[in-house]
Amino acid sequence: MKIRDYVIGANASMYYRLNFKKIKGVYYPKSEQELIDIVKIAREKGYGVTPKGGGSGLSGACTGGDRERIMVSSLRMNRVLTISKDQKYVDVQPGATPDEINAMLEPMGMKFWVAPSSRDIATVGGILSTDGGGNDTWRNGTMRDNTLRVRMVLYDGSILTVDWSGVKCENKKIEKALNSKGMTVHDVAGSHGTLGFITEIRVRINPIPKHTLSGGVAHYDDLNELGDVLAKMINEKCSIWYGEAIAEAHPDVRGDMKPPLLILEVPEENTCDLKGITGYKPISKEKLQQYKDTRIKLPKRNPNEGMQVALFEGYGFHGTSLRKMQDCVNEINDLLRSHDLEPFAKYGHGPSKWYLGDNSPAYGIVLHSREIRPPEKSGPEVFEAVKDIVALCKKLGVTPKPEHKWPFSDEVKNARLSEIRQALGEGFNEFLLDSKCYDVLASMV
Amino acid sequence: MSYDRCVRCGSCLKICPIFDAMGEEQYSPRGKTYLLQIMDQIEQDPEAAKEFRRLLFMCTMCGRCKETCSSDVDLLAIWHEQRGKSIREHPDEFAYLKPLQEALENVQNIYGLDPEDRAMFWLDELEDEIPGLADKVYEPGKKAEVMVFIGCLMSFRSSQLDVLRALLTTLWKSGTDYLVMGAEEFCCGHPLYLIGNDEGAIELRKHNKAVIEDAGAKKVITCCPGCLIQLKQYHDLGDIEALHHTQFFDMMYDELPTYKAEKPFAYHDPCELHRILEIKKEPRSLMDKMHVDYRDIEPTCCGGGGLLRITDPNLSDIIIQMRAASQHLKDTTVLTCCPSCREQLLSNELKTRDIIELVSEIIEEVGE
Repeated sequence: MKIRDYVIGANASMYYRLNFKKIKGVYYPKSEQELIDIVKIAREKGYGVTPKGGGSGLSGACTGGDRERIMVSSLRMNRVLTISKDQKYVDVQPGATPDEINAMLEPMGMKFWVAPSSRDIATVGGILSTDGGGNDTWRNGTMRDNTLRVRMVLYDGSILTVDWSGVKCENKKIEKALNSKGMTVHDVAGSHGTLGFITEIRVRINPIPKHTLSGGVAHYDDLNELGDVLAKMINEKCSIWYGEAIAEAHPDVRGDMKPPLLILEVPEENTCDLKGITGYKPISKEKLQQYKDTRIKLPKRNPNEGMQVALFEGYGFHGTSLRKMQDCVNEINDLLRSHDLEPFAKYGHGPSKWYLGDNSPAYGIVLHSREIRPPEKSGPEVFEAVKDIVALCKKLGVTPKPEHKWPFSDEVKNARLSEIRQALGEGFNEFLLDSKCYDVLASMV
Repeated sequence: MSYDRCVRCGSCLKICPIFDAMGEEQYSPRGKTYLLQIMDQIEQDPEAAKEFRRLLFMCTMCGRCKETCSSDVDLLAIWHEQRGKSIREHPDEFAYLKPLQEALENVQNIYGLDPEDRAMFWLDELEDEIPGLADKVYEPGKKAEVMVFIGCLMSFRSSQLDVLRALLTTLWKSGTDYLVMGAEEFCCGHPLYLIGNDEGAIELRKHNKAVIEDAGAKKVITCCPGCLIQLKQYHDLGDIEALHHTQFFDMMYDELPTYKAEKPFAYHDPCELHRILEIKKEPRSLMDKMHVDYRDIEPTCCGGGGLLRITDPNLSDIIIQMRAASQHLKDTTVLTCCPSCREQLLSNELKTRDIIELVSEIIEEVGE
C-alpha cells in the first residue's frame, strides 16, 4: 500500500485506527469531471465511495468505516467559482474553507457568515454534510440556512442539483423519485456523505456591518442558572454576535476563567438590554480576545498529564433540558466517571440553533465535551461509554447536534436518509446507516 | 510520545508550504503526525514505512506548524527526532546525505572545500575595497570585541559576496572592533542538526567556542539565522552574546538617513529568524530607521529551509515559484536577511537584497 492510502485516515475524531486494507484507492480530484471518472471506477469495481473534507469533524463519518471503498478528498477542489455581490451569493467548490472564502470576500465588504471554530480547515462540503455552525449560529443560522443550492455527483455518475424547492437530475427517474419524496437542502444537511459527493455549493453572503461591538462576561452559580439565562435570551431574541459558554474546564486549560460563564459580544446599542438579562459585565478588548483564544483552544488542549478524547460531541440542551442543564450534566458526568473517563471540559455556542432529525429547529446550547481518556482502556471499552451516553441523552431530552453526531443515533434522520438512498443509490458511505455501525466505530477508537 | 498529544484538528494543513505545493494529506504536518500515531500499523508494511521516512525529509522545518498548533505539540522537535532516527536505523536510504556529513567531518564545511578557502575567496575580492581587511582574520593571539561568524554559505558562495561586502563595509565604517574567524571557522552544525544528527555537531561547536573565547569577544554576530540558532542555543557561549546582524546594527544606530528607492520593497521574514528565534522587531526597526517603503509578505517559507534544496530540490523550486506568484514578487525586490533565503530567491530569478546592503549603501552615500 502507498502511504497516501494510510494517511487519508487522519481526522480529528477518536475513530482513527482504520482497517486500511479495505481502502482500495485514494483520490484528490480537482474538478467535477475527474470526480465522475473516479466514481465510475468505484462503481465498476463494486466499491463504496467515502467523501472527505478537512477531517476536522468528530463523527468519524469521513473514515468510511469498514467497507471496501475508495476515499475521495475535496482538499484540491477549493476554488471560489463565482461571486455575486448584488445577488449575495458565491458558488464554491466543496473543499473551500470559510477562511478561504472570506479572504476573497472581505475586501468587497462581504462575508460568508458560517464560522465554526475549525474554519481554517473545515470545508464547506464537510460543514454542510454535518450541518455545522459556529458561535454566531444563533444569529446567522447553521450551514443549511446559508446554503442556496448544492450540486452533487451520485453513485450512478449523474449530476444532481438540490435547492429549497426540490431537485434536478440528469437521470430523470431519480429526479422524479426524489421530488416525490420532497428532497431539499434539508436532506443534504447532516447527511454525512451518505448521498453523493458535493461538487459545488451556492452559499449566501451578506455585507459586513459597520458598528461597534462590545464584549463582556457573565458568571453563574451553576449550569441551571446559565440555562435559565440562555432560555431568556432565546425568548427575548437577544442580538448576540458572539456567544460562548464555558460550562466546566480543567484547571490545566481554563486560564483564569471561572466557569460557568458566558462570553458575549454584542452591538453597543444592545448592551443595556442584555445586561438586564444576563448580568454580563463589560471587559476590555484584550481580555475578550484572551477568553476567545482560551475557548477556541479548549478542544485542542491536553491536560498536563494524560490525553483528552472527544467522546461524545454536541450535547444539545433545549426546552426542559436547558433549564435543568446542571442536573443533566451531573448525570452525564457520573456516567462518564463510571467508565473511568474524567470530565475535562464542556463548552459551546450559546445561545445557538440546530436542527433535529425531522428538520425542525432547536434553540438552546450545544455543549462540546472532552474527557480524559483512561490509558488502560481499550478502544471498544471506551466506546461502551458512548453507547451509554446515547441512551442517557435520550432519557434526558438532550439531543445530539448533527454537526458532531451520527445518523445512527438519530432514528428520524437515519430513516429519511435511507429513504432517499433507495432512490439515488446506496454507494456512498454506507457504514453509517448499517445496523453494525456501532461495532465498526468501536473498532476504530 | 509528544506526537500522541496531537488531536489531528488539521489547523496545520493549509499553512504548511509543503501541503500547499503538493495538496495531499501525507505532505502535511497532521498527516505525518497521524502516521506516527498509527506507526504500529505502518511498520507492518515495509514499503509504506520507507515512504514515510522519505516524507520526513520533505519539510522545510519552517516551524509554522509548531507555531499554529493549539495543542502545544512541538512538531519541530518531532521532525528533528524522527529524521535522526530514520537516518540511524536506515542509513542506506539516505546515502545522498553522506557526502554532506563526510564534508563536515573532514573539512568542516558543507561544500567539502579546503578550509583555507573560507577566507581566501572573499578576501581576494574585498581587501582592496575595505582597508585593513586582511588583518581582521583571526589568528591565535588576536583579540576583538566582536567576532563575525560568516557561515558556510556566505564564505563560499559568490552569490553572497554583495552581502558580505556590505556587512564588512558597515563594520569598517562604524569603527567596530571585530575579527572574522577565517579558516578557523567550522560549520556551526546546523545542517547536521536539521538531519537529527546531534552527536556530529559536538566537535564543530567545541572548536568554534574555543576560537570565539580565545579572541576575547563579547559578541558574536552572524547574518545566517541557522548559524544563529546554533550559536545561541547549542554553542554554550556563556556571557558572549550571539546576535543576528540586524540586531547588532539596530542597537548601533539610533537613526539613519532616509533610503530612497524608486519602488517599494517586499519584506520576507526568514522562518528561522522570526519564527524560531523570534527576531521580528529588529529587521523592521532598521528598515523603519531608513524610512524604507516595504510591505510585509505572508510569513511562510521560501522553500529553502530544512535542507529541502538537498533532499528535494524540485519541491523547493515549486514552493518559491508558488510563493512568487501568490505574493506578486516578480516585479519587486524582496528584502530579507538570511543567506539561505537569498539563495532561494536568486535561484528563481527573483530580485533580492539583504537589509545590510541598504544600510551600507546609505552610509557610504552620506560618507561621500
